[in-house]
This record gives sequence, structure tokens and C-alpha cells, in this order.
Amino acid sequence: MNAIPEGARGFITLDAAACTSCMICVRECPDWCIEIDSHTEQVSEPGARRPRSVAVLDRFTIDWSLCMYCGICVEVCPFDALHWSSAYDYPARERRELRHGIDDLGLPPAGSSEFTA
Amino acid sequence: MRSYVVASAPHVRVHVRDLGLACCAVEFASAVASGLLLPAPVDDAGAGALNVLVVSGTVTDALAPAVLDEWQALPEPKAAVSFGACSNSGGPYWDSYSVTPGIDTVIPVTTYVPGCPPRPEALVAALVSVGGAAA
Repeated sequence: MNAIPEGARGFITLDAAACTSCMICVRECPDWCIEIDSHTEQVSEPGARRPRSVAVLDRFTIDWSLCMYCGICVEVCPFDALHWSSAYDYPARERRELRHGIDDLGLPPAGSSEFTA
Repeated sequence: MRSYVVASAPHVRVHVRDLGLACCAVEFASAVASGLLLPAPVDDAGAGALNVLVVSGTVTDALAPAVLDEWQALPEPKAAVSFGACSNSGGPYWDSYSVTPGIDTVIPVTTYVPGCPPRPEALVAALVSVGGAAA
């Protein structure tokens, strides 16, 4: 099999810890394949005058059946939470299996060319 | 309909009806041109070989009946591979007035290959997945 070029656009991984739920990727996506649910929590720190509001990411979904792999979400993310992977081989038997959530997006898909465990 | 052998998995032998409707079809051609899929004589494939309909590209509502005709004309055993975002879901055109939002609204799809376009190697992986399961 031919070597997959470095930097090939096959899959986008999510660093959920870096994501601040700012929604910029969701709004910039040309075909709206990203969905985010989040809520804010009040964090009280000793010595602070008032609690701090922190956004907590509840759901981050990329629908690979819609994605056009343009990379605008990767480009616009101010916190570098999205990264390209060259994994290409993750066909699905059901269309809903192509909706990947936070747990699926942490690493390239299991069984794909880029997956290492 | 053409008969192919998957170069990296010679036991996978498939008859392929390629419905190339848009740019994803170039990746299918690339898979053949780069030797990932090797053309095989049709009579050499044997009666048991799987007949695979590969729909690659944007399906419009005007063309959807033609896709259905192709599927119904395909002899058993058969499988349908949806290749690329447009045939998976309509892709970037999912809210267009004239584009079918996924060929699974028209025919039963065995495997969905994500990509815009998917790599030629992704086509091979999908054919191994459907052809290997049938063999």
C-alpha cells in the first residue's frame, strides 16, 4: 500500500482539556458538522473576591458523514484543541456511527491506520 | 460492471459497479491507476464474488431514481458502498433543495466511507470490509 503523505487530512482529534466551549469552530464550520453542549460552573478560589465562571464541555460531536475536511475548525481554534490526523480508514456500517463524541475524538479511530494504543 | 482484485488482500475479489457522480469518482480512478485495485477478468471472478455498487459523488433528487435502478439491476449477492460525504449525507449540500441528503434515503447502504474526498486507500479498506466479510 502507498505511504500516506504526512499532513494528510483524514481525521480531526480533539484535546477536550484545551477546549473552552467558545463555539468558534461550530460557527465557522461551513456545513455545520460540529455540535457543542456546555454549561458554566462557579469555581470559588481561596482569597478571590467572587467565584469565577468556568465553561465545562459536556458534548463535542463531529459528524464525519457531513465533514468536508476543510480544516477551518482547526485553523480558527484559539486554544489549539483541534488537530489533524492522517487516519483515513474508519468506514461505518451505520451512518450514526460516523458521529464521534468527546471519547471518540481523543485519538484517531481504533483500528485505523493512525491508531496506536 | 468491472471485476477487481484488492492488491493488498488478493482473496477479496469484487465486481464493482462504479457510479461516479462527482469529484469522489477521481479517487476511485486513482485507486485503479495506482494499483491498489487490480482489474481482473470478469469470468475469472467466479459466481460467488460480491457485487458492489460504489456510489461516489453528489446524488441529486433528479438522479436518485437512476441510482435506485442501478441497485435493483445489480445481481445478488450485493452490497452498496457510500463513498464520500455527499453520498453519505449530502455533504456540504445537505440543505440544498436539489441534493439527496444521503443515498441511504434511496438504497440500503452496507458501508459508509467518510471523507471529502476519502483517500483511494479508504475505498480499498471499505471493499476489504464488505468483500472480506462476504468471502
